[in-house]
Amino acid sequence: MEKRQVRNNIRKLRFQNNEMTQEQLAEKVGVTRQTIIALEGGKYAPSLELAFRISLAFGLPLTEVFSYEAETESTSK
Amino acid sequence: MSYQEKNITVSLVSHLFIMVYYLVNLFPIVQSGEWIAGRLYGLWAIVIGVNILVTIIGSILTNILLTIVEAVRSRKYEDPRFITDERDNLIELKGTRVSYITFSVGVLISVFAFIFGQPPLMMISLIFVFSILAEIVGDIAQITLYRRGM
Repeated sequence: MEKRQVRNNIRKLRFQNNEMTQEQLAEKVGVTRQTIIALEGGKYAPSLELAFRISLAFGLPLTEVFSYEAETESTSK
Repeated sequence: MSYQEKNITVSLVSHLFIMVYYLVNLFPIVQSGEWIAGRLYGLWAIVIGVNILVTIIGSILTNILLTIVEAVRSRKYEDPRFITDERDNLIELKGTRVSYITFSVGVLISVFAFIFGQPPLMMISLIFVFSILAEIVGDIAQITLYRRGM
């Protein structure tokens, strides 16, 4: 089976939403800032519920915030 | 360093102190070879009691100190966001798993020590050593996961 990874546009979307800080987003979705950092760095895949909460925070559908792509050489390490 | 990391660091340091205290008191007994039940029961009771107390008091003190530090730094009192989220829970679960594996291996080693002729009190003493060691290894695993950014 092809290896895939959950990716996201959180960093880009934060800047498009009045340069929202990581702390503000964390507060909005009820997690710590460290979790937002880990998500943006691609080191942590969120639960379905958190993914939905983040999408709601940006007012976008889930698929515009998260994608499920094939792992590249750099990310598979 | 997040609130959780600080809490785990306090837990790690207290477990290290308990381990050192236990080993320092256990070593003379092992050296003399006199496995006196009364002395060992006392030592185990102290270790269990201190472990429970330190865990509770350490957690409360860390919370109070962090609130004070946060208030001094921001120059106003705000309810700090000492929350745990799903990532914290996942890291805690992974740490618990590492602790469980360490403890299981420790129990196995202790039982084998008994099978190969060591006194039963030594077996239980070893189980105590491995139970504290399991906590230490679990804390280290959690800190490592936080540092790696997972």
